[in-house]
Amino acid sequence: MRIDELKAGEEVKYSGELLVMRDAAQKRIKNFIERNKTLPLKLEGKIVFYAGPARSPDGKKCGAIGPTTSARMDEYLEMLYSLGVVATVGKGKRSNWVVDMCRKWKRVYFVTPSGAAAYLSRCVKSIETVAFEDLGPEAIYRIHVKDFPLLVAIDVWGNTVFAG
Amino acid sequence: MESVSIKRKLKKAIVEANVFMNEEVRRVVEKYAGPFNEALKENISVAQEEGLPLCQDTGMLEFFVFQGHNVRIDQPIESIINEAVEEAYLENPFRFSIVSDPLFSRKNTGNNVPAVIHVMPVEGNVLDIRFLVKGGGSENLSRLYMLSPGADIDEVKTRIIEHVKNNGAMACPPLHVGIGVGGSSDKAMLLSKLALTKDLHERNADPRYARLEEELLEELNGLRIGFQGLGKGPTVLSVHIEWSPTHIATLPLAVSVDCYLCRKGRILLEDR
Repeated sequence: MRIDELKAGEEVKYSGELLVMRDAAQKRIKNFIERNKTLPLKLEGKIVFYAGPARSPDGKKCGAIGPTTSARMDEYLEMLYSLGVVATVGKGKRSNWVVDMCRKWKRVYFVTPSGAAAYLSRCVKSIETVAFEDLGPEAIYRIHVKDFPLLVAIDVWGNTVFAG
Repeated sequence: MESVSIKRKLKKAIVEANVFMNEEVRRVVEKYAGPFNEALKENISVAQEEGLPLCQDTGMLEFFVFQGHNVRIDQPIESIINEAVEEAYLENPFRFSIVSDPLFSRKNTGNNVPAVIHVMPVEGNVLDIRFLVKGGGSENLSRLYMLSPGADIDEVKTRIIEHVKNNGAMACPPLHVGIGVGGSSDKAMLLSKLALTKDLHERNADPRYARLEEELLEELNGLRIGFQGLGKGPTVLSVHIEWSPTHIATLPLAVSVDCYLCRKGRILLEDR
């Protein structure tokens, strides 16, 4: 999958790695950067999935997982891009500012189905905690997925599937 | 009434609301043919087969307790409810989504309690407990408008429609819209939540409000936000209004929305 070739509206079955994080973890990363502390993970080349999984049914496999509202993460977007994140995955429309950012940084915003968390958990082949374990469901996780359904919501040219 | 029996029934209802799809919503999902339709359809069976929640955001639980004046329970209802929620969430692969204080530590309580509980005394010997499993994404769309008392129906409609138009795509549409009109600011918000506990096709007993519900349903669907905000399928699945007398100087209008899953439950018990 080449990020800079994807077009808004295109559906993709993605197989590979996603870094799972949401509000609290991103706030903490921002705090680390402001205090010049070394980050506990590398974000270069990664795709960030805005999510916080439910608990695992057996302590091993991934529990129900799905996207949270991306618009809440807008304030951390440039930070992620400057750390090398190539795409974000979430749910819902984002601001025109985000559309401009995607164009400027040549990054993509994907949506994945919300309210389909039991189904999505089946696409997750492995899950491990990467950082901030004390945040519980808001910790940073690395997941490996197979045929994970994505739809290009904003492409690198600033085209978007959301009206208005 | 015995708290043990109330707790058992509540736990069962809470688990079912998280794992089993609302039948009416299921029929809508089955007809949907737009983007991600396979994932949404399969989600229903996977959740049921594996006992997984339909959505990873297993919510903050909100309870509306109508307690008959002759109902006597051997334990305060609030503690029975919180115990039921805690046990349901500890025993199932749900998510703990509650933080202890909102501003400073935001530390996860690790058991998904406390729930939000409203107890309202009513006449009789029935204990009627309704609840919503309310995800954070939809809760963030709650709005309160303190309108001028002279505001007309069109202004009320415009506020609601503009709000859904600008924000609806973020809260997992097709949405359920609960509207509270009148009372005080807090009463209006509460009414808007109570409106979400109603059955999907239930209409207001007052024909004027019933007609307003129908009109809003039609006009909101005209926004064409669709499933996932991607323009295909319905935009709202239900609209309910609850109203209450208000002050001569006020016209509170509260809007609450719920995601398409519409996870809720109700238990009715009689004190014999």
